[in-house]
Amino acid sequence: MKHKTDCMMQNIAGENLLVPLGARVLDLNGLMTLNETAAFIWALLDQERTLDELIAAVAERFEVPSAVARADIQTFLAEITRLGLLEE
Amino acid sequence: MTAPGGLPTEYGPLVGELGRRAIERRQPVNGTFELTERCNLNCTMCYVRQPAGHAALRAGELSPRAWLELTLQAMENGMVFLLLTGGEVFLRPDFFEIYTPLTRLGLLLTLFTNGTLITDAIARRLAEAPPSRTEITLYGATAATYEAVTGVPGSFGRCLAGIEALRKYRVPLGLKSTLTTRNVGELEAMRKMAAAWDLPFSAAWLLTKRRDQAPCGVAGCRMSAAQCVELEATDRASASEWRERALRGAPSENEKNFYCAAGKAAFVVNSRGEMSPCLDLIQPAARPLESGFREAWQEVQAFVDSAPPLAPLCRACEVRDYCPRCPAFSVLETGSLSEPVPYLCEIAHARKERYGPHSE
Ligand code: SF4
Repeated sequence: MKHKTDCMMQNIAGENLLVPLGARVLDLNGLMTLNETAAFIWALLDQERTLDELIAAVAERFEVPSAVARADIQTFLAEITRLGLLEE
Repeated sequence: MTAPGGLPTEYGPLVGELGRRAIERRQPVNGTFELTERCNLNCTMCYVRQPAGHAALRAGELSPRAWLELTLQAMENGMVFLLLTGGEVFLRPDFFEIYTPLTRLGLLLTLFTNGTLITDAIARRLAEAPPSRTEITLYGATAATYEAVTGVPGSFGRCLAGIEALRKYRVPLGLKSTLTTRNVGELEAMRKMAAAWDLPFSAAWLLTKRRDQAPCGVAGCRMSAAQCVELEATDRASASEWRERALRGAPSENEKNFYCAAGKAAFVVNSRGEMSPCLDLIQPAARPLESGFREAWQEVQAFVDSAPPLAPLCRACEVRDYCPRCPAFSVLETGSLSEPVPYLCEIAHARKERYGPHSE
C-alpha cells in the first residue's frame, strides 16, 4: 500500500498537517493534523509498503512492542482510508 | 477576509494556535502575492485603485516564472498559506500560468477577486484545482448602488454572473463587502443575497487612504465613528467580542506597535516583486528575487522589529483596548508608523461608550 499523491504533508511551527492538492480541495473539509507517529507512517507510505514493513519500522523508531505499533498503524490506516487517501 | 497580515481564520482554532506559534518561531507561514495593482473597476474608496490599462504598471508586473521561483523559495522557508490578490487578478491574461503550478505544491491557496471577469470557462478551469477559498467583494445589492461605487456600468450583472459560475462548479466561495456611505443602506440586502446562495458573508468598513498617497475620495466614503460602531453591533460575533473584552477587562494586546502577524509570520510581495509586512505598507520594499527570499524576509522582520514604540498619547490612552489603530493605518493617515489616527480615536471612544464598564 501507499498513500495517494493528492495530499501533501506540511509543517507549521513543528505541527504536521495534511494539505489537499488539486481537485481534492473539494472533498477535504479543513485540515488534518498528524501526530509524530502518524507523520512517520505517512512518510513511509510515500513508497509502496506492506503492513509488516510498517509495523517493523514503527516498532523500531518508537521503541514499542509490535502489538502497539500494529494498533497505531491500523487506527491511522482506517482514518486515511475513510478519507480516501490510501491507494487501493 | 483574512485578518490583515494574519492567517486565514476559516480553519478555526487549530490554525489560530499554529499561527501564534509561527509568530514565535518567525516562520513566514502566510504569504500574499499582489499579482497586479490594476483593476477593471474604479471604486473611490480603494487603497490601490490603478487603471486596468496602465501600461507602465503592467510592464513592471512579475512573470509567471518569477512568481513560481518566489513561491518555491518562500516554501523552503516555511510558507504554507498563500493569498493571491490584486488589483483584479483576472486582469492578467496569464493568470492560469501563474496559478496552476502553485496548485501542485501543497499550499493552502486563497483568491480575492471582484468576480466581474469570471466566465464559465474560468470557473471550470479553477474547479480543476480550486483554491481552498475564493472571496468576492460585493459593492451593493442593486445595480444602481453597486455601479455608483464601482463607477462601471454593467459591472453588477457581471459580478452576479461570476458568482453563479463559481457556484455552478462548486469552487469554495465566500462573499464580503466594503461598506461606504453609498452602499451601507444595502448591507441587510447583501446579507440576504449571501444567505440565499448559502454563502458566508462578512463586511468591513474601516477605510484607509491610498497606499501611493495620491489624492483619494475616502473621506467622503467613510461613515461617522458612531455609525461604524452602530453597524458593528449588527454583527453578532464582533459585538459579543467587544462585550466580552469589556467584561474581562483584559489588558490590550496592542502594547507593541506591530501586534499582528505582519513581519513575524506574514509577508506580502507586490506586483513588482517588492516585499513588505502587509498590504497597506510599502516599506521596506525588500527584493527577494534579487537578494533571495531569506534575506528579504530578514529585512522585513528587521523593519517591524525596529518600528518606533507607541506614541505617548496612545500609551497613555484610556480607550486603547477598543482602538483599531495599527502602524499601517498610522502611516496611511499621518505618514508616521506610530502617530494616533483621529478617526480611529473617535471609533475607540464610541466603542467604549457602547461596551465599556459605564455602558449599562
Ligand atoms: S484611540 Fe487614539 S490615542 Fe488612543 S490608542 Fe487609538 S489612536 Fe492612540
